[in-house]
Amino acid sequence: MASNFLLRRIAVAIFTIAMIVVINFVMFRAMPGSPERILGRNPHVTPELLAATRERWGLDKPIFPDQFVRYIASTAQGDLGYSYVTRGATVVEVLSAHFWPTIILFGIAEVLAVVIGLALGAYSGWKRGGPIDYIGNGLSLLLYSTPYFLLGMAILLLFATGLGWFPTYGMLTIGQVYASPIDRFVDFLSHLALPLATVTLGLVGQYAIVMRSSVVETMSEDYVTTAKSMGLRDTRVLRAHALPNAMLPTVTLVAINLGYVVAGAITVEIVFNWPGLGTLTVDALTARDYPVLQGIFLLLSVSVVGFNLGADLLYGALDPRVRT
Amino acid sequence: MSAGGVAVPLPGTQARSRVGRWLEFMRRLVSRPDGLVGVVILLIFSVLALAPTFFIGPLETAITATGPRLSPPIPGYPLGTDELGRSMLNLTVHATRISMVIGLLATVVTVFVGVFIGIVSGFVGGRTDAVLMRIADFFLVIPTFVLAIILTSIIRDAVGGGTTEVFGIRLSLLTIVIVIGITSWSSTARIIRSQTLSLKERAFVDRSRVVGAGGGYIMRVHVLPNVVNLIVANAVLVFAGAVLTETTLSFVGLGDPFQPSWGQLLDAARQVGAPGLGAWWYFVPPGLCIVLVVFAFTLVGGALDDMLNPKRRGRR
Amino acid sequence: MSGPLIPPGQRPGLTPPGVRTDELETVEPLLRDDADGAGVGDAHSIGEAALAALPRSIGRRQWPLPKQADPNARLLEVEGLKTYFSLESGSVKAVDGVSFTLDYGEALGIAGESGCGKTTTALSLVRVLPANATVVAGSIRLMGIDLATKSDDQMRRYRWREISIVFQGAMNALNPVRRVRDQIAEPIQQRLGQSEKAAHERAGELLELVGIPRKRGRAYPHELSGGMRQRAMIAMALACDPAIVIGDEPTTALDVMVQAQILRLLEELRAKLGLSLILITHDLSVIAETCDRVLIMYAGRVAEEGPVGEVFRRPRHPYTQKLLAAFPNIRADRRTLDVIPGSPPDLRDPPPGCRFAPRCYAAMAVCSEVVPSESRFEGVRVACHLYTEGGDGRPVTTPPPNAVAAPTEVAS
Repeated sequence: MASNFLLRRIAVAIFTIAMIVVINFVMFRAMPGSPERILGRNPHVTPELLAATRERWGLDKPIFPDQFVRYIASTAQGDLGYSYVTRGATVVEVLSAHFWPTIILFGIAEVLAVVIGLALGAYSGWKRGGPIDYIGNGLSLLLYSTPYFLLGMAILLLFATGLGWFPTYGMLTIGQVYASPIDRFVDFLSHLALPLATVTLGLVGQYAIVMRSSVVETMSEDYVTTAKSMGLRDTRVLRAHALPNAMLPTVTLVAINLGYVVAGAITVEIVFNWPGLGTLTVDALTARDYPVLQGIFLLLSVSVVGFNLGADLLYGALDPRVRT
Repeated sequence: MSAGGVAVPLPGTQARSRVGRWLEFMRRLVSRPDGLVGVVILLIFSVLALAPTFFIGPLETAITATGPRLSPPIPGYPLGTDELGRSMLNLTVHATRISMVIGLLATVVTVFVGVFIGIVSGFVGGRTDAVLMRIADFFLVIPTFVLAIILTSIIRDAVGGGTTEVFGIRLSLLTIVIVIGITSWSSTARIIRSQTLSLKERAFVDRSRVVGAGGGYIMRVHVLPNVVNLIVANAVLVFAGAVLTETTLSFVGLGDPFQPSWGQLLDAARQVGAPGLGAWWYFVPPGLCIVLVVFAFTLVGGALDDMLNPKRRGRR
Repeated sequence: MSGPLIPPGQRPGLTPPGVRTDELETVEPLLRDDADGAGVGDAHSIGEAALAALPRSIGRRQWPLPKQADPNARLLEVEGLKTYFSLESGSVKAVDGVSFTLDYGEALGIAGESGCGKTTTALSLVRVLPANATVVAGSIRLMGIDLATKSDDQMRRYRWREISIVFQGAMNALNPVRRVRDQIAEPIQQRLGQSEKAAHERAGELLELVGIPRKRGRAYPHELSGGMRQRAMIAMALACDPAIVIGDEPTTALDVMVQAQILRLLEELRAKLGLSLILITHDLSVIAETCDRVLIMYAGRVAEEGPVGEVFRRPRHPYTQKLLAAFPNIRADRRTLDVIPGSPPDLRDPPPGCRFAPRCYAAMAVCSEVVPSESRFEGVRVACHLYTEGGDGRPVTTPPPNAVAAPTEVAS
């Protein structure tokens, strides 16, 4: 039954998120002498904040079950605590302020990378051998070995500093007054260009490699030989027979990859000072703003789990064998 | 059949000496183009990592720096200088040691944990297996990088700083080793587990059971030697991943400026604004090293995978 | 005493010892009329009435012959076909000089061990070979048109519309993500240019022709049993009304009962639709039941070829004899299976002369030096130095005294 498949997946997803919440709690509490010690070391924590935190989390009460239950309850209600740095602001507020720039950057990059990467990989796998295949393979491997931020730095140097085509910093020019929304949008785009190119390049390599090996594997299957024996045109064989089957493992791998992409995501934002969750992570890290860090962890984990679930559903839609 | 401690070889393998077989294997590896390139690159970096002081002198500090600040390559400073006037060549070569040692230690921890859990999980089976693999799947799904960031800073705050060194690495960086181990063992565990599962079915395991050997003995003496090949191939790729992870963790600020790794140098470059200033010599040398080392590991790992798994189609 | 090693009138392994086949009632189990509902698994076989009720769109040669076809030529004439694979380690001479013919309405069986080149031969006919394989020599005349000289693009005209293939029905011979009906309709739409509606309609007819209820066409391949998948593939092969259908081990992956149904189906279709069939298999009993002529291949060359009855009653080539003797006879006394010693040669570096010589009990000095030419008699072709052209079909030399023992005489 299709619903069985779905229900199991949803159950696993919920379980994963629950585990993350628990881990957040444990990390903070289980460290020796924490949280008093951690809070004590933190230069930003005022005595008032210390008292408020102690009260909010019931630190004077026993850890288990009182503190634990409180933590779970407040998290479930969407209360993720207060940021240490921007005192007064809740973690949720801080996260939402940084959320959209990240979504825009990575959403567009993923879409571009999937389209370009799958196309390159399919072409490469179909026409095995030949110079394009070797060069493409070598380039993809090199790209795979390069951390995203390094790529970003190189691109920034070349295209912003060197050629001066693009700005080097942030999402919009600081202090700029725009004549019209169009101008603002154009400025936004010119700031978006380089980080977008960086992330897309980083992803394209991986997707191309995966798609290529998937296509190569599919092409040796019997039904492709049958399709060719039918005298169908190569493009038809590729489109109607090889690709739909080659896509299946690719979808799974793209989804699994999301967890790893996050690391690259954060670092690219740092290089370009793109005001998203990545920059927030580093700022929070420097300031030891743990509530924000844990909030980011929770948010990203939930997103990744959500994407994986979506990919599972997509896989179920593409491959009828799974549905029974 | 010998008892205790000695690995019992699979029936049918030649009884050549350990060293002989190893040499033969290495020869096959370097006869492949990808194996050759990878091994050569890794050798160069390993030699540099073992004794950087021998090649380039002691690590320059803010006090001992003598060069012009943030200067492009000039005679005497072939790779330019950083903002403190230190030679980038000096910094990069010393960073080789830090990055490679951290990578090595992290790999040891990861592989140790992964192999242990993988063998136990595959061998014991049942509920233990289910629970362990559920945990492993958890680590495969979540963005472990963010978790690593949080863990590293929490542990550091809890443990405190200091200048104690183990294996020549300061405690603050050892924290990174532990954290990488905690977050990266899952894929190794899964791979080893499936190999263990297939080994479990084989006759010689049953024979041992009949003789009365305990689980631990069988795991140690029978299963482990037969997954060694797999472990080696996997460890190479784990090393690549560990170097990348450490680099990224250092880049976001968790590195140690007193023992700069490549990632830490890149962090310093960014903080100074090197790309914006056009100071390519600040980040290109450490960056190039990272790319080369990871590329080399990936090449060798792929070559090993091919060599140990002849059923792979579509390869040369 | 020299002579055929198996007394005439006996088909070792297939008839009880001491019984002569010309004394057996002529049994044509495959053409038995099952319209009255008798027989095993009858739900899947077609009846006369059902066949008569079929619309005219299926039947003898609805679609025009290729423009260049010569109506007076034989259906298929293959001459000196050579297909080589180029590997890093050398050139594998998988098919090295194979010739045979096929007439309209005939069923030819190609038999031999794995790796003898039977599948490669079939794939060479439609030129659907892996990238590293090439037809290096020979001619393939289909109705007088030499396919070997056609470019890959020109070959497309002939694929499926003149020659189609039914592959071994393993899990992946049908596209797992497409419905069965759509896969059968695909060549009708793409190659014959019919509309989607018409193509689906015809696909439904074809499914019924092979004994699958029409509405099962909406299923995916993994939802069908092995036997039904094979039937679906046969339906697919018939989609464009081809002149020749090649079956590459079509029953190998199936259990014996289903195997019988499939063979019966093939035979029925052959009789009613006027199909010509090339059946490739290592299972000689399948060929014995279904085919008119048989071609025995060894290591890329033809060993023996002729009418099924003649070849199986009087196998002449030592390899054929051994092959037949290797089949256990369920009614005979127990004896150890006769195994052919050694293994097939490495086709990158085959032995000079006759390729079977190293394993042949009757090998003579000349066998390892000179490639045997074909001798013909009584409709049979043999490539063996034991026989000469124009002879009476008996071996001309006594096997050497120290030869490996011939298959045990069946007790009479």
